[in-house]
Amino acid sequence: MSGSAVFARLARGPRFLVDLGATLLVWGYFTLGFLAVFSPFYLITALMPGRTAIRHQYLNHIFYQGFFALCRILMPRQRWEIDSKARNIRASVVVCNHISYMDPLLLIALFRRHTTLVKARLFRIPVFGQMLRLAGYIPASSDADMAGLMLERLETLCAELKKGANLVVFPEGTRSRDGHMGPFNTGAFKIARRCRRPIQILLIQNTRNLFMPGRFLFNTWPENTISIQWVGEIMPAYDAPDFSVSRLAHAVREKMMAAQDGLLQEESAEQI
Amino acid sequence: MTRDDITRNLLAIFAKQFEIENPGMDEDLREAYEFDSIDAIELLREIELMLGDPLTRDEKESAMTIRTFGQIVDYVEGLAKTRAQLGDAR
Repeated sequence: MSGSAVFARLARGPRFLVDLGATLLVWGYFTLGFLAVFSPFYLITALMPGRTAIRHQYLNHIFYQGFFALCRILMPRQRWEIDSKARNIRASVVVCNHISYMDPLLLIALFRRHTTLVKARLFRIPVFGQMLRLAGYIPASSDADMAGLMLERLETLCAELKKGANLVVFPEGTRSRDGHMGPFNTGAFKIARRCRRPIQILLIQNTRNLFMPGRFLFNTWPENTISIQWVGEIMPAYDAPDFSVSRLAHAVREKMMAAQDGLLQEESAEQI
Repeated sequence: MTRDDITRNLLAIFAKQFEIENPGMDEDLREAYEFDSIDAIELLREIELMLGDPLTRDEKESAMTIRTFGQIVDYVEGLAKTRAQLGDAR
């Protein structure tokens, strides 16, 4: 056995313990931290009249900012690069690739005023589903039991976006298992057309290296740079006779893929 | 408004708004054309314009489970009849 292989085997023990410790502390924040620190605020804002959704979005934003602050402390080998242009997005439909469960959390931590499309089955989970409702999130299905809620949300969404909120959507609809970008659903672009809002394109990189699909523990040991890159803005001519939602979705995907390829080329160039 | 008028108007809306040309009466729009709930809400707005009358929340909710073009024609025909009857009663 070569020296490096022996070293790799010896390193696995401490690595496992570091990953386990970081994971338990982060899950502790999610469970005990939520119950002890955040839940009273959620409860109070739920009982206060008016603007409940905005207050809950703000609480979610703070909660996930806390989560990532903890990640920065517990996972010093992770670097975080957030494009300032992404940070400053307002009143837009934000579309982003999806490679890890961490992606929606990152974007909620990024945008104070936000809403998003969420799988309808999550609305049926006790407590969690209620929190999704309170935050004004939108069920991504019109199943009979969700039709009323979806109608209600979409009827007020355009006004919310106009006031500065962002609609965050992962147009692939689900996480990519292998990092390759899947085909896009057109829902986000239909909403953008309906509300006459610009499309902001973001690219998230390397969150899947930290929280890998199918693995319970965070992978904290290898050096890794998690980034959110602002790829660009598209303000389509929605009223043009030749406007097409599917063409818009295609154009956005092309831009996102070009940015992804650019980043990958940069990384391989650096490695050389 | 006759059933033929409704069908013709709906086909025009489908072509212009949803880029769907001549859907089959019994085709599942979601499976065949990815016609989703956001499209359904757009369509409801177009139906309101067609009828010249806003839809109630119950009428809108009942539309959200419709799957085929034929069911949409039935739905709009029903709405038009209800409104005509209400008009006659007044």
